[in-house]
Amino acid sequence: MNGVSLKLSLFLALVLGATPSWGQFSPQAACQSEAAPRTAIYYVNGVTTTLDEARLNGGKLELEFLTRLPSMTPASLQSSCYLFFLNYNPTSGAVKDFTEAGQQRLGINPSDMWRKLETLASLGPTMVSLLQGPMTQANQIDQAAVQRHAEAYRAQMTSPLCRRVVVVPHSQGNLYANAAYDAAVGPSPAPAPAAGALKIVGVATPDTAVKGNGRYRTSTGDLLIGAINVVLPSTLDANTNWGPNPILTSFTPLYSGGHSFMGYLSFDDSRSQILSDIQSSLSEVNAVAVCQ
Amino acid sequence: MLIGRIERTVGAILLLALCGGCGSETSSSTPVTAASLAGADADNNGVRDDIDAYIDSSAADADTKKALRQYAKAAQSSILDANDAGKSITHVTERFRALECLMARRPADFHPVFVELRARILDTNPRSEAYLKADGHAAAVNIPLLPADQWMGACL
Repeated sequence: MNGVSLKLSLFLALVLGATPSWGQFSPQAACQSEAAPRTAIYYVNGVTTTLDEARLNGGKLELEFLTRLPSMTPASLQSSCYLFFLNYNPTSGAVKDFTEAGQQRLGINPSDMWRKLETLASLGPTMVSLLQGPMTQANQIDQAAVQRHAEAYRAQMTSPLCRRVVVVPHSQGNLYANAAYDAAVGPSPAPAPAAGALKIVGVATPDTAVKGNGRYRTSTGDLLIGAINVVLPSTLDANTNWGPNPILTSFTPLYSGGHSFMGYLSFDDSRSQILSDIQSSLSEVNAVAVCQ
Repeated sequence: MLIGRIERTVGAILLLALCGGCGSETSSSTPVTAASLAGADADNNGVRDDIDAYIDSSAADADTKKALRQYAKAAQSSILDANDAGKSITHVTERFRALECLMARRPADFHPVFVELRARILDTNPRSEAYLKADGHAAAVNIPLLPADQWMGACL
């Protein structure tokens, strides 16, 4: 990104009200008590997301959540300690293919490719075709990763941890979350976790459902999911936006294409609606007795 | 729902039309700064000289510059040790701590700051490939995350 586009993106962020208001966080009060229940919140990344971006996306989720937490209702939500985790969906091979294709087909140098990775993932005319298979076909996702994710959720929900779990997957991560769900909540191996202790809150989902009656948010301005929806009309319908004019917002320099997780958590209505979905899901899982 | 689907369909058509010029818009004349994987590091601080110069010339405050240099050093180590699985995991962990430090220093705009720094670090194909190879070693490893109240403590 050059200086002009960086300034423009920051300006637009200010104009669009995307400036967060958090400060440095104090430790959660509930986390100071060993007796307080623990709830695990997982971020699962999509395709073309490196480990660094996954860490930042998870951090953004944590910052926005902690900013919202004091005003969340019911008040009982404040009495849980929320712990954040990353279940990584390996994408280095896809990123390599993607960056090579971008350079060959669009003539972009490596630095610009990295600057525009998220933009091109959503906008590049030859890029969408590269991503549609991995984004929509369950047989193209990494089964070892699915198993690893399921085991992590199950370990959280059973003894000795006995935690509730909310999973927030983005993009292709929704396929991973749905695929891991059944294994995570199934009866074997013993002990089985409590029913309802795991909820999914999908973001920018290319899938046709959210397992466990979970919630989801896809923006009307998400051009990548929109392109998938044209080919696969059974894709879940858009139900949020990044502002009054989602198409215009989707062309802001940093978040072009309207698909990035960072954008979903930077613009309203999507940010507030995703946090409300998490809040509702937490209320539901917190009502479940675990390890009884 | 129908309006939303129409809007997204229009958007999808728009992207196909508008991105015909993506290549010409985004091609850069920025030259490759060094031929080798390591590049020049005259002061031997673990950060390439061109990246040091970029950080020094940026408008960031002193604490942010330290966070950027912490990430740059960890990324450079990732690139140089990409063939070693164990070291790669260690360096990804170092990168996570540097990113947590950056989020603590720049909570409002850490993402664009990170994107620009990494783009400058990964300015050649060999460096980009090494970075991704290092990621591949750590992809299945559960690397612990520090909670937000401890991010400042991740700063070196």
